Amino acid sequence: MAILETKHVTKNFGGLTALQDVSFALEKGEVMGLIGPNGAGKTTLINILSGAFHPSEGKVIYQGEDISRLKANLVNERGIARTFQVVRIFKRLTVLENVLTAMVDRGKDGPWRLVWGSFFRRACAFNQDRDACATADGLLASVGLLDYRDERAENLPYAMSKRLEIARALATRPKVLLLDEPSSGLNPAEQNEQIKIIRQINEQGISILIIEHVMKVIMDISHRLIVLHYGEKIAEGEPEAVYNDPLVVEAYLGGEGNA
Amino acid sequence: MAAKQKIWAGLGLVACLALPLIITDRYIQHLLVMSLIFVIFSSSWNLITGYSGQLNMGHAAFFGIGAYASALLALKLGVSPWIGMFLGGLLAAAAGFLLGIPALRLSGPYLAITTIGFAEILRLVAMNWVDLTRGSLGLYGIPPLPGFWGIRFTSELTFYYVALAAAAWALFCFRRITRSEFGLSLQAMREDEIGAESIGIGTNRYKLTVFTISAFFGGFAGALLAHYQRLISPDMLSLGETFQALTMTMIGGLGTLTGPVIGAVLLTFLSEGLRFVEDAVKMDVRLIIYGGLLIVTILFMRGGIMGLWERWRGRSAGDGEEA
Amino acid sequence: MESLFLQQVVNGLIVGSVYSLIAVGLTMIFGVMRISNFAHGDFSMVGAYIAVFILAWVPGWFGWVGSLVAALAGVGILGLVVERGLFRPLITRWTDLDQIMASVGLFFVMENLAQLFFGATPRMLPDPFQGATVDFGLFSTSMMRVLCISMAVGIIILLQIYLNRARMGVAIQATAQNRNAAQLMGININLIYGLTFALGSALAGLGGVLYGTIFAIYPTMGAIPTLKAFVVTILGGMGNIRGAIFSGFILGVAESLGGAYVSMEYKNAIGFVILILVLLIIPHGLFGRSEE
Ligand SMILES: Nc1ncnc2c1ncn2[C@@H]1O[C@H](COP(=O)(O)OP(=O)(O)OP(=O)(O)O)[C@@H](O)[C@H]1O
Ligand SMILES: [Mg+2]
Repeated sequence: MAILETKHVTKNFGGLTALQDVSFALEKGEVMGLIGPNGAGKTTLINILSGAFHPSEGKVIYQGEDISRLKANLVNERGIARTFQVVRIFKRLTVLENVLTAMVDRGKDGPWRLVWGSFFRRACAFNQDRDACATADGLLASVGLLDYRDERAENLPYAMSKRLEIARALATRPKVLLLDEPSSGLNPAEQNEQIKIIRQINEQGISILIIEHVMKVIMDISHRLIVLHYGEKIAEGEPEAVYNDPLVVEAYLGGEGNA
Repeated sequence: MAAKQKIWAGLGLVACLALPLIITDRYIQHLLVMSLIFVIFSSSWNLITGYSGQLNMGHAAFFGIGAYASALLALKLGVSPWIGMFLGGLLAAAAGFLLGIPALRLSGPYLAITTIGFAEILRLVAMNWVDLTRGSLGLYGIPPLPGFWGIRFTSELTFYYVALAAAAWALFCFRRITRSEFGLSLQAMREDEIGAESIGIGTNRYKLTVFTISAFFGGFAGALLAHYQRLISPDMLSLGETFQALTMTMIGGLGTLTGPVIGAVLLTFLSEGLRFVEDAVKMDVRLIIYGGLLIVTILFMRGGIMGLWERWRGRSAGDGEEA
Repeated sequence: MESLFLQQVVNGLIVGSVYSLIAVGLTMIFGVMRISNFAHGDFSMVGAYIAVFILAWVPGWFGWVGSLVAALAGVGILGLVVERGLFRPLITRWTDLDQIMASVGLFFVMENLAQLFFGATPRMLPDPFQGATVDFGLFSTSMMRVLCISMAVGIIILLQIYLNRARMGVAIQATAQNRNAAQLMGININLIYGLTFALGSALAGLGGVLYGTIFAIYPTMGAIPTLKAFVVTILGGMGNIRGAIFSGFILGVAESLGGAYVSMEYKNAIGFVILILVLLIIPHGLFGRSEE
């Protein structure tokens, strides 16, 4: 059963069409790889799925609900979390605080409830709340970041900051996780580690859409692949089949040529 | 650690309570009161700019609204200043909500100039609505806080305790707020708005909320000043007033709870220390010093005094580990 | 009635020409360096005082020419010093917040230093035409103001020529459009920064002299040109020179008409009201967005 799907999504930036009539479905529990040459529109697709952008035409359906017009924070509340190609961690917060912030149950009444609530707490600070910290520590441990717990996020090595983004996304308890190049810029050992982490996440039942340039990673973990080229979906299916699809080969060789 | 903190807090409180009894010089007591009022004012500015990263250059608007509202309520309608101070704060909070609306779409220089404009417009109203505000003459003869149990709040000594209670209350609120889920979300928003939205923070509502809360305390501080000085003028709404809060906070440490407290006390006393210079040159050199200190802080002392302290502590802790 | 209206429009255009001149400097600095200089109006104040002193020393036409040259050079050098000492060290590691606050700090330092050195008494620039006026039938104005608007327009035209024809001018524009590309083309960015800031400040200085032909000169006068220049710059789209020129005239006329028909007391609020309304509707001003 599809958990997240797009129907004929088109996205224009002024004169430029970044996505052209893209339809696809992410099945529940699967890992879907999203590949394509530079500028193909991959990030744009994730931006649209996560509510950062709204489609110019077409719809995004999540569990039967049309979420095309929802703002990013509401999309996240529904159960879709994401990471960014260029990390957007909260630099001057600690690693723990980065995760804690994402765990907050924001409810319907918004920030006023949180303000009000802050006056009726035993522990003075949220970052000293036992239960919350225990959960956050669990998440940090699952991505191997526990050693950096009280470090400021800006001091993290690059690979660790990428993992922190994943932990932070998981802290919002998503059903769908959108990963934008989670292993770009990592060395091979770190990439393997990253694959392991992503697999574990998937084993918990979280559906994943992953953009990746590193073919080894993508072939390794995706159940299915889709390929974007100049904003259009040119292939979809089993990784092996897609990899050998002449259209895809041509897109890569004719385009940037770095598969 | 927590126990140690409590002991320090307790000692600090005792020291604050005993201070004006030890230092009986009325002029120093006056400076202490002014420090406390600016502790509240700077800290409230810090909440918007330091914690949520929205550059508010119009904070004086709230200061002035609180002061004028409470003073006018007392003068024209006979409302008790004890209540008026809170009403003044609430009116400022409403203005804060209004000013928060442009902040939803603007940032950096755009927000700075819009907030300046907001305060300037209000200052012009205070200057020109002569029937109500007496224009540039300002309001005088503002009633003091009514006394009770035989205590009168017209002396520096007694008012000191009112200001101390107010500052303690405000700081308690700021501490709770900034360290809560809400406060953490504000800081997340400051660090990266898009990142914050991606984890479910509806930044618009958070901005409006922080503007409202911060404005309340800014207005409250203004009302406190009105009933202490018993004389206010449209200057309270000027950019110079915002600049004081800004400089105090920056020198103490932006985005920290202690920073504005240190900054407010330090600069209040420093500017009085400059009085002999001013008497010599017959001029107000305070703002030159403020501006100079602000520039030096930004250029050479990132994070202000609290930043220095953190680095020093970090280094000595690091040394300990290596040894 | 009609002549009153026309008279106000003309007055507005004259004041607006000064706004434009000052704002062009501000918008240039923003366009090239991404610096929002809240002390910009204080450079105008310095320019105005340079004219005050030179004209007290050398009266007459010779003094006027000397004032403009000295304001250009003096404020330009001051700009260079400020850029080197304050903004250059910040440029690699500032946040928007730090940079804006540093410039606000500079604003208060300059304003109060001026008060210290020049005293608080307002000064006027002497009228080289001894109060002569010209009557155009439907409206009239003083010769001094005619001089003011012609000078402002003349300087703006010269600037346009410089930016479009001179090598360094073209380099400035290229940097404003794309810093990285400019660097790749072998443009020395630090040189451009220094030049832009000096030039932008010098324009404010010249604007200050012309401002002094209309308004009184006093140490804290810088606030008004700063705020007006920001309003104009934002309305014109930050970094957009043409936009700033047009918006300057628009603001001048709007204020003049508003002052005449709505309220004299709130004249200085008109710009802010327009600004806030425009920003709420079009966040990047009337004349398109700044390239970001
Ligand atoms: N906010 C935007 N405004 C204008 N154009 C944009 C915007 N975001 C993306 N684009 C354009 O849309 C096209 C697709 O960009 P996108 O970032 O989605 O590519 P991508 O497939 O993620 O590439 P990469 O592999 O380099 O990350 C590009 O031409 C890009 O310039
Ligand atoms: Mg991308």
